Amino acid sequence: MDINTVPAKSLITLDIGNTVTRALFFDVVSGKYRFLASASAPTTAGSPLFDVTEGAWRAIEELQHITRRTFLSEKEGLIIPSTRDNQGFDIMVATMSAGNPMSVVTVGLLDNVSLLNAKYLAHTTYSEIVAEISLNDRRTASDRINMLTEKRPDLIIITGGTNKGASKSLLSILESIGLSSYLLEESQRPHILYAGNDELQEEVKSGLEKISKLRIAPNIQPVLGKEDIYPAQNQLNEIYKDIRKRQIGGIREVLSWTEGNFTSSASALGRVIRFLSEKYEPEKGVMGVDIGSYATIIAAASSGEETLRVFPGLGVGSGCTGVLKEGSLEDITRWLPLKLAKQDILDYIYNKSVYPASLPTESEHLEIEIALAKQALRIASKKTIPSLHKRSTTFSSLMPPIEPIIGSGRILTQAPTRSQSLSILLDGIQPTGVTTLALDQNGLLPGLGAASDINPLLTVQVIESNTFLNLGTIIAPIGYARPGTPILRIQVNREDGRNFTREIKFGALTALPIELGEKVSLHLRPLHRFDVGMGGPGKSGKVNAVGGSLGIIIDARGRPLHFFQDQEKNWKRNETWIKTLLKYE
Amino acid sequence: MFSKVKHIHALTNIRRERILSSDGYVIVRRMQKVTPTDVIVAAPLSTKYLLLEIAQGLNVTPARADELLQRQAGDELSPGDVIAGPVGLFKRVIRAPFSGQVRIAGEGKVLFEIASQPFELQAGMEGTVTNIIPDRGAIIETRGALIQGVWGNGKITYGVIQPVSNNLNQELVAEQINIGFRGAILAAGYCNNSEVLEIAGNTPIKGLILGSISSDLIPAAQSMKYPIMVIDGFGSTPMNSAAEGILIANKDKNIALNAQVYEPFLGKYPELIISQPNQPEPDLPIESETLSSGKKVIIVNGPQAPQIGIIDYIHPRKQRLSNGIETRTAEVSYGHDKQAAIPLSNVEILME
Repeated sequence: MDINTVPAKSLITLDIGNTVTRALFFDVVSGKYRFLASASAPTTAGSPLFDVTEGAWRAIEELQHITRRTFLSEKEGLIIPSTRDNQGFDIMVATMSAGNPMSVVTVGLLDNVSLLNAKYLAHTTYSEIVAEISLNDRRTASDRINMLTEKRPDLIIITGGTNKGASKSLLSILESIGLSSYLLEESQRPHILYAGNDELQEEVKSGLEKISKLRIAPNIQPVLGKEDIYPAQNQLNEIYKDIRKRQIGGIREVLSWTEGNFTSSASALGRVIRFLSEKYEPEKGVMGVDIGSYATIIAAASSGEETLRVFPGLGVGSGCTGVLKEGSLEDITRWLPLKLAKQDILDYIYNKSVYPASLPTESEHLEIEIALAKQALRIASKKTIPSLHKRSTTFSSLMPPIEPIIGSGRILTQAPTRSQSLSILLDGIQPTGVTTLALDQNGLLPGLGAASDINPLLTVQVIESNTFLNLGTIIAPIGYARPGTPILRIQVNREDGRNFTREIKFGALTALPIELGEKVSLHLRPLHRFDVGMGGPGKSGKVNAVGGSLGIIIDARGRPLHFFQDQEKNWKRNETWIKTLLKYE
Repeated sequence: MFSKVKHIHALTNIRRERILSSDGYVIVRRMQKVTPTDVIVAAPLSTKYLLLEIAQGLNVTPARADELLQRQAGDELSPGDVIAGPVGLFKRVIRAPFSGQVRIAGEGKVLFEIASQPFELQAGMEGTVTNIIPDRGAIIETRGALIQGVWGNGKITYGVIQPVSNNLNQELVAEQINIGFRGAILAAGYCNNSEVLEIAGNTPIKGLILGSISSDLIPAAQSMKYPIMVIDGFGSTPMNSAAEGILIANKDKNIALNAQVYEPFLGKYPELIISQPNQPEPDLPIESETLSSGKKVIIVNGPQAPQIGIIDYIHPRKQRLSNGIETRTAEVSYGHDKQAAIPLSNVEILME
């Protein structure tokens, strides 16, 4: 579709993060939508201002300064729509991740079926599951009521029963929920999302509608083995808006600026990843990861199916102590390329959690933040992997082949070297087969996701304008061998005939010197039944690849990455790997 | 770029909301003078409920059980009071197991609220009640010194402040804690030994204010029965000079120490207040400010933290730090004739 066939509209996207609010400006240049500028300001959702509009306003002011275009007027506020003299803009969309996670109680019948669905749904947004109720739960009705009135959750997600399936057991649980809601003051009553047996919808309405903020979605699991989470996910996004409107100052204004085009950053990331997957090569899949101050998000889509996981409390700023809580300090220090005193690392992590917007000024502190990012992403990836495998295979515990993988987040974009950005993604995700790692260097993903509903052409044209930086094509063979054993022969055929061959040994990280944007044809011949994603173990094949900022990377370090018990060895090896990547920086 | 303000004031106006998350009974009245231990509002916060299956207990249908109910919603009961029955040959009845109130009755069931001791929310500071928030609490105002911190172990107290020495830039060690500190709120530079926290608890002291604390002591500090507040952060760094000056100048004065857990989205900071109602009325503190030349700032990250300095100059463009990060920085003078380029995101404005 050409821009001439649709009215060209300029757009500002706001992304209200936990520490930073970003404003991005898009407009038409030479007949196509382009990303033009970004600006940021500290988020003001929390103390002392408790009003997100202040941070948004400051970010837009900065955007005015950068673009030399006026977006704000003292009298009328935002200038919407744009004027003939090129002032203002036409549309605003907003995404948000700021705020404490919503407290959620999940309810299902069977632990391994409907309760899992409820938990899965809760994990698609910024939530913390504070309690669960299921048939296996031995608590009495009184215990459940006491638990619910004590926890006072923001939201209760109820799933369970296939259509025409169980109803009596679910109704008995609903009675406890209804009674506990009745007992709470109106302002404290939870939102309830019902996505269970469709046949109970009327009974749920009559029992809960008057005493709670009820939303009903079609059954997540209408028949056994078939799941459809999207309608419930959309309702959840509406609930997220309602809850944030109540909890955080200024959201009502943002909703009026955006005419309701406001969504959670996670939901927007999921949307743009699904959009990309549908638009380009659906069977290859697309993955987007965002490493934020408080949360890490993984969104993946292939053949129209989306996986979205939000990990609140797992970040590199206010959420960095969560990385510690999920494991040990050694899980973080194993990623370092140098020896640092344990106590200094711990103190730095805790200081960062209370001053999340602050930046590392020393090289050692930067290395701690990079290690934190790798571990946060590793934890998130490991927890997401099971939902990415359609069926169980020998390598079900590994990341399935997905291409491309796009990374976003300040830790990636502000990293001084591209090799640091690439190593965070490579070590954190540990992709397999052949893939491309790209960097959302301008932090466009959430904004493009939010915009894709109202202006899909903008999303397409901005993405096609090389907005993501290709960090490198990755080839990651999987299999087992002794370190040093040759596992792959790779022949690189270049357009200018300067072809060459490399033998790759197990345990090595190798960067092939291919220029950024240079197209090459690779012939991959795995040895010892290693799998390079050419259709199975030991299978050879040809693949076309493009050089990224760091060329083409052959990651033969094994999957999952092996670590030494002796941390000194890990640090030395990490230093070698960094040097390998830096060689082609 | 605008910045958060670090609140360390020798004299300021302080206004605090003391409210419950649910309805209760407000005990104070407007313009009442309160002390930190005065109760502002009380409510049965940890209410427990019991769902009594009347029909099942009486072995009748739910409709019949409703006919046999002797109580209705709102009735207050004592233990043993009959709720429903009698029925059958043996005159079976259902009795109240505890004292409490019937909340809902019908369809063969009774939801019974068990009476509980009310939770009492104390003022936590000296001051005057300037506003009542109906059913929830009150706003208390005072003037005096205010120091906010970044970490607290969730406890609250009121007592006399005793700095361990005339400078708070040294580690708190066991030998410094003597019987003379019994019942006092101690102020010290930093602590990196959990035994010291134990010894302080056994003395017993009433509270502890530190510039910094070693992060591996967090579990120990959380388990202490007395409040602990950390002003600057984690590690072995001395207390910032502004807070140190206020604490030393107010030695032997009563302070309200609220070491509540730091929750920036809820506006909860651990803090201490030294009420000085007889001082001339100052302005309310400013909550955010724009960074500019001449502003006094506290450095919050990097080797200079938590030193206090003055912004000499803000670089108009991004600068490259020694680790390669590019960011906006300011030239900050601190200590004795020292100057460094500090990222703008690593300073907070200090209002004294």
